Amino acid sequence: MTEANRDELPEKLQRLIETVDIANVLTEPLTQSIANLLQVSAADINSDEASVLIRDGDEGDLRFLSATGEAAVKLLNLKVPAGKGIAGFVLSSGQPMAVSDVGEEESFYSEVDKTTGYSTQMILATPLSYKGEVIGVLEYINRRGEPPFEPFTPAEMDKAALFAEAIASLVNAYESAKLFRDLGDKVLAGENKDDITDVRDWLKGLRDSAEHREMLDLAVLMREIASRGEAERTICRELLESILRFSQSKSETTFLNF
Amino acid sequence: MTTVSDYEPTPYSSISTYFPLDHAWKSASGKGVSVAIVDSGIDESHPELKGKVVESVEARFDNRRIVFDQSEAGDSAGHGTACAGIIAKIAPDTEFYSVKVLGAGGLGDGQAFLAGLEHAIKKRYRVINLSLGTTKPQFFSPLHDLLDRAYQAGCIVVAAANNLPHPSFPSVFSSSVISVIKSEEADPLKFGFHYGEVIELTAPGVNVRTAWLGGGYRNLTGNSFACPHIVGVIALLLEKHPDLTPFQVKSALYSIARENLEKTSSL
Repeated sequence: MTEANRDELPEKLQRLIETVDIANVLTEPLTQSIANLLQVSAADINSDEASVLIRDGDEGDLRFLSATGEAAVKLLNLKVPAGKGIAGFVLSSGQPMAVSDVGEEESFYSEVDKTTGYSTQMILATPLSYKGEVIGVLEYINRRGEPPFEPFTPAEMDKAALFAEAIASLVNAYESAKLFRDLGDKVLAGENKDDITDVRDWLKGLRDSAEHREMLDLAVLMREIASRGEAERTICRELLESILRFSQSKSETTFLNF
Repeated sequence: MTTVSDYEPTPYSSISTYFPLDHAWKSASGKGVSVAIVDSGIDESHPELKGKVVESVEARFDNRRIVFDQSEAGDSAGHGTACAGIIAKIAPDTEFYSVKVLGAGGLGDGQAFLAGLEHAIKKRYRVINLSLGTTKPQFFSPLHDLLDRAYQAGCIVVAAANNLPHPSFPSVFSSSVISVIKSEEADPLKFGFHYGEVIELTAPGVNVRTAWLGGGYRNLTGNSFACPHIVGVIALLLEKHPDLTPFQVKSALYSIARENLEKTSSL
C-alpha cells in the first residue's frame, strides 16, 4: 500500500461504513412495508396466507423473505430448493399459475406443511419481476375460513399481478440495501490478513464512535419525519437546506463541525 | 395487463369475412402430428400419456453452450405433463416430443428457453407448445429471429401470454406466433379469436383438470393451460390438412372461432 493510498483509505472506508450502516437502517422498514403490503393484498384476495419468496443464490433456490398468517414465523428463511414446488416453477418459467387442489402427495408442500403444521390446499403464485428479471415469487395460500375453498379466480390472479408489481420494487430495494449490509459484514468478519486486521479494527472503532452513532440517529430521525407525510417532508427538506446554506456560508467557522 | 392492446383496434377487427372450413378435423385425433413441449419435461408414465412420448431431451450446459441430451428425468415440476395432458385429451394420437428446459440445477433461464425453441425448430416439429415466456428485453431480438425461422420452416409456434403488467416474449409478437390467453370457457373446442388485440386467441384456462406428477391430476388456472388447448386443435387440423402453413393455420383458427361465436350468439 502506498503512502498516498494509506492517507485516502480512512476517508474512503468511513464513507463505506456510513453507507453500510444507513443501508442497515433502511432494510428494516422495507421488510415492514413488504409485510404490510402482503397483509393488505391477502385480505383483498381473500387468502389465508401470503408470502414472498426471493432468489437465494444463483442456482434457482428460493427462501421465504416475508409471510403473513399463523405459520409466518416458521416460514421465514425456510429454503425451497431449485425447481421445487409451484414457487420453483413460477420462478424459472415466469408464468403465474393457480392450483386449486395441491394434494397431500405434493412432495415439497407436504414437507413445508410438516414444518409449519399448516395444510396447503390451494396456491396462487405469481412472479416478482424487476426490470424483466424474475427476482422472486408472490404466493397466496388457501382461503380464509373453513374448507371447501372456492378456487382463485382470474380476476384475483390479475390483482395478485398488480400487488406483485409493487412488492417487486420493494424487494429489489431490500436486496440492494442488503448487498451493502452483507459487504460490510464480510469486511468485518473476513479472514485474518495482516493488512486487513488494522482496517477491521479501525472499522469497529468507527462503529463504536459516538460521532458515527449520532449520524445514524440523525438518519433514523429523518426517515421518521419523512414517513409522516408530504408536509413534514417539505419542512424537513427546507430546514436541512437552510442549515446547509448557513453552514456553507460560515465554512470558516466550526459551527457544525462535530 | 398485456392481454389487451393499448392502441385502437383497426377497423378490420370487426370483419366477418372468413373461409368456411369443413368439419372433418373434428373427427381427427392428431395422428402423425409431431408436437414439441418446450417446458419442464413430461412424465411419460402418466396413464394419460403412456406410449405417446416419442422422445425426451433435456438442456445441459456444455462449455457455456447449451446442448440437448436424451433424458430420462421425466418432469420436475408437473407443468409440462399438465400441458401434454391437455393436448392428449383433445388429440389423443399426437406424437409428443419433450424438450426440457426448466428444472433443477440452475437451468430455466431465458438462454435455455431460447435453445429449446431452436432445437424444436431444427427438428421441424410441426407444432411447438410454449407455455413459457421471458420478459428480459435482451431476448426480444433473438426470439424474433427464431420465430421468423420457425415460420419459414413451417413450424407452428403457440405461446402463452403471461398476463402480467410487463409484456412477455414471444407472446406479444403478432405475425409469426399464435398467442393465447385464458378464458373461463369449459368446452376445449370453444376458443375465441380477437383480431387486433396483442394476444389474439382465448382458450379454456380456468380450473382445467389435467394430468400431473405421480399419475395424478390437478385443477389448474393460467394462460399456460390455455395454450395447449389451441395446440390440440391445431393437431386435429394438421392431421386432416398436413400441408397447412402457419398463416393458413391462423386463418383456420379464425374460421372456427367465428363459427363458435355465431353459434353462441344464435342461441
